This record gives sequence, C-alpha cells and structure tokens, in this order.
Amino acid sequence: MSEAVDTQKEYELDTSWMENMGEWGVKATPGKRGLTLADIQVGSYAELPEVSDNMTGRPRGAAVRPEAFRVGAYSVHTLSEIWLDNAEFLYEEALQRQWSSATDIPWHTLEPLPDAVEEAECLLCTFFNEVEFVAGDVPARWIAKTTPDYLEARNVLSAQVMDEARHMDVFRKRALANGGGLMRMSGATSGFVGSIDLARDFTEMSTRLHISGEGAVLTMFRMGELFGQNEAEKTMYRLCAQDEARHVAFGVMHLRCLSATAPERHEEIECYLDEAEGQLLAGQQNPAGTQAETSEALAILLGGGAEHYDEGHKKLLVIRRRQLKEYMKRVISAGFGDRFENGRSSIPERYAATG
Amino acid sequence: MSEKMTESMSEDEPTQGVPEPTYDWMGLTNQWGTRVKPGEHGLRLGDLNVGIYGEVPEYWDDQTRRPRGALPRAGIPPLPYSLRSKHEMWADCAADLYEEAIQRRWIPATEVPWDTLKELPEDVERAICQICTELSQCANTELEIITYWQDRMSYGYFEVKQYLATATFDCARHLEVMRKRALSNGGGLGIESRGRVNRMILESSGGWTEAVVYLYLLRGTYITRLLTGLLSFAHNDAETFIYSHMLEDHARHMTYGYDHLKYAATHHEGATDIMRTLLAIGEGHMANELKDGVVSSAMAIIFGGGIQGGRTYGMERYLLLVREFLEDYLSVCEWLGVDRRESLHPMLKSYLED
Repeated sequence: MSEAVDTQKEYELDTSWMENMGEWGVKATPGKRGLTLADIQVGSYAELPEVSDNMTGRPRGAAVRPEAFRVGAYSVHTLSEIWLDNAEFLYEEALQRQWSSATDIPWHTLEPLPDAVEEAECLLCTFFNEVEFVAGDVPARWIAKTTPDYLEARNVLSAQVMDEARHMDVFRKRALANGGGLMRMSGATSGFVGSIDLARDFTEMSTRLHISGEGAVLTMFRMGELFGQNEAEKTMYRLCAQDEARHVAFGVMHLRCLSATAPERHEEIECYLDEAEGQLLAGQQNPAGTQAETSEALAILLGGGAEHYDEGHKKLLVIRRRQLKEYMKRVISAGFGDRFENGRSSIPERYAATG
Repeated sequence: MSEKMTESMSEDEPTQGVPEPTYDWMGLTNQWGTRVKPGEHGLRLGDLNVGIYGEVPEYWDDQTRRPRGALPRAGIPPLPYSLRSKHEMWADCAADLYEEAIQRRWIPATEVPWDTLKELPEDVERAICQICTELSQCANTELEIITYWQDRMSYGYFEVKQYLATATFDCARHLEVMRKRALSNGGGLGIESRGRVNRMILESSGGWTEAVVYLYLLRGTYITRLLTGLLSFAHNDAETFIYSHMLEDHARHMTYGYDHLKYAATHHEGATDIMRTLLAIGEGHMANELKDGVVSSAMAIIFGGGIQGGRTYGMERYLLLVREFLEDYLSVCEWLGVDRRESLHPMLKSYLED
C-alpha cells in the first residue's frame, strides 16, 4: 500500500450502475483450443442483431446508457452486409499463425542469383510491396465503418490488416536483401471505377478483394515452391499463402452468408463477379495475368533463368489455369456456381481453352 | 519440385504458344546492388533504410502506392491519400515498434491461464466486469480512429502505416480479451460508457496529429495508470497475464503517440499552439469523464477489495492514480513544449490540490 494513501476519509460511492449491467452469471469455459471467441457466444451475448441500432460504440450485450453520445455513424449496420459464419474461427486461427518476417524467414539461405533472375524476383517483390497493402488500407477503412455489434467480423479484418502489413514488409525485405533493389511500380491498384479501393459497398469490395484479387494471388503463392529460388523465398511464399487463404475464406464465407440471407442482392453480386472475371486473367492486379509485366518475370523464375523462358512460360500457363479452376471452386462454394452452368460466365470456356 | 506437384502439373498442362518476351521492365531501378544483412534480431524493417530507400522526404506528393525508392510510372490515377507531410504522422520509432509488436504477440485464447480464475465476491466481480466493459470501449475507439486514418496516410511513410497495422491488431485483441474476461467468471458486461472522451477522440477528424493528442497524450496517459493499477491488484494469474500484456501493448502505442507529437512539435511551425488549444478543450472533457462515478467507483471497489473498502482505501488509491496520471500528463506536456501546469483545467487541478 502506498504511503501517500490516507485511509481516514470515507467517500460516497455511486454503485447505481451495479443495478444496470448486461446479462449476469455468465461463465464461459475454455475448450480444447483455449477460450476462443466461439466459446464466449453464450446467452444474450451471442445474439447478433439483424440490424444494429448501436450508435454509441457499445460492446454487444452491455447495458444501454440513455445519455451516451451517438459517436458511431456506422454505415455497415446490417448483418448480411458483412457477416460470415466462421469469423470466430478465422480470427483465432490468425492469432495462432502470426509470423515474423525478421526472424522466421531463413534469410541466410539467400545466395547471389544470375542477374535476370534477381531482376525478375525484384520486379515481383516491387509489385507485391505495392499491392499487398491495398488489402490493408481498404479493410481498415471498413472496420471504422462497421458497427461493433459485429465485432467478430471486424476482428478478422483487423487480423488481415496486420497480415498485409507483414506481406508488404517481407517483399520489401527480399528486394533489398540480395544485391538487387526495387524496380518500377506497376500501378495495378489505382483509383479507377470498379477498383478495390473505391468500392462503396462492403460486399462489392470483398468480392473484388477477397474472391478475385487475393484468390488469384493465393494460387500464385501456393506455387511459390516452383518459382522460389531458395528456402528463404519458398518460406516467404508459403507463409504468405497461409495468411492469404484466410482472407479468401473470409470473402467466400461472407458471400455464402449473403447469398443465403439477402437473395435480393443476388443479381447485383453476379454483376460484380462479371466485372471481376473480366479482370481475372487480363487485369494487371494478377501478377500472372496476360497483361502484367510480372508475367515475364514469373516465366524467368519458373524456368530458372532467362535462357529457359519458354519452359517457364509453360509453367506460368499452369498457374493461370489453376487460378481459373480455383476461382470457380470458390464461387461455387460461395453459392454462385450457377453462372458457370447457365452461360453467364466465360470462365469455364477460358479454362477449357487453356487445357 | 515435389513429386505431388509434378504429377498435378502434368494433369493441368496447358497447350498454348509462347509469346516473345519484351523485357521492357529490365534495368528500370533507382538503385541496384542493395544487400541488407540480418542483424542479431533478424532482418528488421529499420535495417532496410539504406541508400535512397532510407530517404524519407518531408513531403510525399505521390498519390499512388509506389513503394518508397521504386521508380514511378506515368499515368496512374491517384488515390485519396490526404496525409502527405511527414510531420502529420511520423515517429522515428515506428519501424522498431512494428518489429517489437510482432515479436511480442500473444494469444488470449491459449496463453492466458484461464483456469486460474476463481470466484470473487460479487461486488468485486461486478467492478472488474465494469472496467472490462469500459476498457473494451476505449479499445474500440482506438481501433476506429486508427482505421479511419490509416488509409489516408501516404505510402512514403509506410513504416508508420505498418506500425499502425500492429496497433489495430492490438486493439482487436484488447477488445477480445476484455470481453473474454468479463464473460468467463460468473459475471457479464457492465453498462456502456457515457463516451465523452470517446466522442472527443472520434470527432478529432481534422488531422491524425490532433487525434493523437486526445487518444494518447490525454486518454492514453490515463489508461496507462489504469492498467498499472489493475495489474497491481490482479486477483489471479489470468488477470496478471492480461493486464501486463495489455500494458506492454499500450506502452508501444504511447511510445508512438508521444514520439509523433514530439516530431510534429519540433518540425511543424504552430503545432504546439494547436496542441495547447486542443488540450485546453480536451482537459474539460477529460475532467468531466473522471467525475463520472462509474469508473471511479469500480476502480475503488477493486482497490478496496469490495464496496466497504472502496469507500476508504479504495477511493483514496484511485485518487492517487488520477494524481499520478496528471503528473505524467503534465511532464509529457512540458517535454513537448506545451506546458500545461499553470493553465491546467481547474477541475483537474483540484485532484492535485486535494
């Protein structure tokens, strides 16, 4: 006890708040994965409002204070706009699978590479250093716009912001660690209509970011085993793929939820998918896309040198083909698979043409 | 290549021609031959600041996502980055704090020894749950104001954006862990905050520096003392773990906040005058929030071991906490060059005089 404390005086204590708290007597218990967000979905604390009237930033389930200030102008306040059924799981997984680009990448395995290969790797790293944080900037913006009643979904987005910061960082590190440097930016994520940045609806943004954009990148990261030239690069791509898979899962699960709960938005989502598909292989946001100069860099890396460009290009086509295949799987899983059967989507045709 | 991958590739083997490469992109670099080596703490973000890659300009007029040091490309439509001056966000410690946050990550689900929670007297449990509710709402405000500003910050100052990404994640974890504590020991959430200071922070949308004045210098300094007090009076290992780790995260946030304000104060003419004006207004809101009986009585009950003890020792201990907060606050203000000792809001001054 501090000597500065005088215990002679008696104070009035306002304990009226004790009579006005949230549901009482709750005792969530840890399961085999510890005390997860799913474990604390108990009693009224698990009740998710379809439409949130929370304008004060109140934690879900806390007692309302009539005189509280209305500080939360939350534009995302309808459950179907942002919800996904496995948010708790994705958030907890993100916490478990954090990694450090400073200490978890075996940087000592980097060795001098032939000039063309180093340039190709640095071009790819410049591209990722540039575009990875679009997936940090944009979800961050949507966190501030979303009611805290949907805290589980917001927490997953917070984890994504962290993941993307690490991606931006690891690719910069690689570009500057092996005798190379950054190269010319791609401009792949800039301010034009239909871009991830400028979407004014969360689901529109998520469709572009999570399903098509990050989906294409995920396929590529998963093939990092093929174009990584050493253990440092392979580890880098492997760990990024692990993070990216969670982000893509967010988008798929959100679309699935929206498809089930807001059928009136089905046609609108189909339109976003139409746009996304137009950009899937031809757009510059896909580093393996037909219009991207990173494709040449990838062909060099996949071939193991400029002298094996043709061989590398054949492997690049395999990546593109996989991107289409995995994209279709995701869209089917999200509940929009009809488009591949009713002729609306040209992806099945394009997939067949690459076979 | 693994056998599985080779097999799977042949199954997907496409049959298209090979276009002639242009290699137009080759040789396009501002600086080549950079070879940063990992140090004893690995390859850290700050280590990368070599040559032109370490040149941080006072003003970044590029509204694209061009990485600092990369070559620009003509014709790229701009993005709405509104913070483009270094003094609007910079702190020299940002890169180090980013790496530290990653190294010191923790997981509430599996690292907090939840099995050490034991039943507490109801008044104490209610007080803890009320404080958890309050701190959860403070973390929510911090999360919302950071994410409001994050995507307005230029890429030229990416170290700050990256550090703030860790702070965003920390806030999400604080929201989570406070909720978990409130719902795991026979209690529940309390009553929401009146939200005076939350409003003040969220409405400081004129600039990030202005938000930092309220978020960290005024509110954050108080939260530091609150968490320190809670740690001193933790009832079990679970609470000790929670408060000590929250405090560690919060200390990083405060380091950035103070460092940024110092940078702004010393690099932007008129910044200290603006801070002084903001603080003159903010202190009034802070004083009114401190007068609100919910947090003070809940803390007094925790310190006093119950309502009875809260009326004597507990409230005295809380008032000491407020005095310590104000002394910290005044010291930092003085260090920043915005001395508030003489002009401190009278309601706050009264805590120091008692």
